[in-house]
Amino acid sequence: MRARAAVSAALASAGILLAGWQAGVRVEDTGSGAVGTLSGTDGTAGSRTTGSGTTGSAAKAAGTYAGAVVQTRFGAVQVQITVKAGAITDVTALQLTDAERKSIQISNRAAPLLRAEVLKAQSSKVQTISGATVTSAAYLTSLQAALDAANL
Amino acid sequence: MNSPALKTRTFGCMGTVISLTVPAGTGPGTVGPDGGLAAAAAAVERVFAGLDGTFSLYRRDSEASRLARGSMSLRAASAQMRGRYADAVGWRLLTDGAFSPERPDGVLDLSGLIKGYAIEQAGDALLALGVGDWCLNAGGDVLVNGSPRPSTGAPWQAGIVDPQDRDTLIGGCPLGGPGTKRALATSGSAERGDHIWGARSWSARSRTGPAGAEFRQVSVAAPDIITADVLATAIVAGGTPMLDRATDGWEIEVLAVRGSGELLATPGFRA
Repeated sequence: MRARAAVSAALASAGILLAGWQAGVRVEDTGSGAVGTLSGTDGTAGSRTTGSGTTGSAAKAAGTYAGAVVQTRFGAVQVQITVKAGAITDVTALQLTDAERKSIQISNRAAPLLRAEVLKAQSSKVQTISGATVTSAAYLTSLQAALDAANL
Repeated sequence: MNSPALKTRTFGCMGTVISLTVPAGTGPGTVGPDGGLAAAAAAVERVFAGLDGTFSLYRRDSEASRLARGSMSLRAASAQMRGRYADAVGWRLLTDGAFSPERPDGVLDLSGLIKGYAIEQAGDALLALGVGDWCLNAGGDVLVNGSPRPSTGAPWQAGIVDPQDRDTLIGGCPLGGPGTKRALATSGSAERGDHIWGARSWSARSRTGPAGAEFRQVSVAAPDIITADVLATAIVAGGTPMLDRATDGWEIEVLAVRGSGELLATPGFRA
């Protein structure tokens, strides 16, 4: 359940970010008087599906706007925002990535754990030792040197 | 289960010690009882010595030293030098600058990449010799192939040093065998601080240098040794943001030790 909640939170955050980014583009559009086309980072033009009004910036801003399809590592993402009186009133996901794959990715993040919870290894049962770069001098007293000496 | 019978040869290069370990047997894929191990070790040593001669800054006559002195430009450098430089720049992009081919003083230094590259090339040389079961360890960075028990498919078992007590292990990691992880690399902020000059970009953001690095030690298990080595270095340099970026972007397992001794691990390192 925690993973699901994390997925929902992450997707919601992504949606808000995308919407915020698009809102930023919209403001620029309003400033230049050109309304209706949003462009995405992948170069695909977004589209304004509805909307009305040509009098005043507040009226101009009304409508629903579909953002460009943005390719992420988890797949394609596309959101739509609804704007009324110059304010975003709704954000809808038109395309979301495969939720299952996303949750796998999130669960692969490193999380705190106790020493007793780490996959254990006994010196007598390992065949090699990984450690921060040891110099030739440090090697002489290392566990790896002991292993190597046993196999000479 | 008894420990498998193994044979090891070691030699010094790149300021550290390289160990080649193989099953002591006569089965297919092993080096046999005769000079096979000597020949395999010689092949590995040739790879390391060749790269050391080109890329080491402590050799005044190396190509790397001539580049560092400015007596040669990168455009005039060998295809091998330019190739590794391109690799390193690619990794800098992928790690958002946490891994860098340049020292803080601007000198090109590919040593953060070359050891992993040498291990990979040495592994290829062993496979070309027909040696199928082996474990290569270069200064604590490990690449394996096959199994310590020929024909069983059993993985090699690697231990990870506890940075607070170098005579004990903090954890373990199976490599090779049925798994896809063949490589394990560990980087630390306590040893060879000069190695983690990627810390430059981190220190600019956090105002802590390598001495105040967030992670004391980071181990990365990956399908290949260059990815494992570069990402372990990058995570030490880049802290938690780089750790999350690495686990999101690559098929790796990570065991990280904070300065306080607290551990962070991906699921693969959980018992």
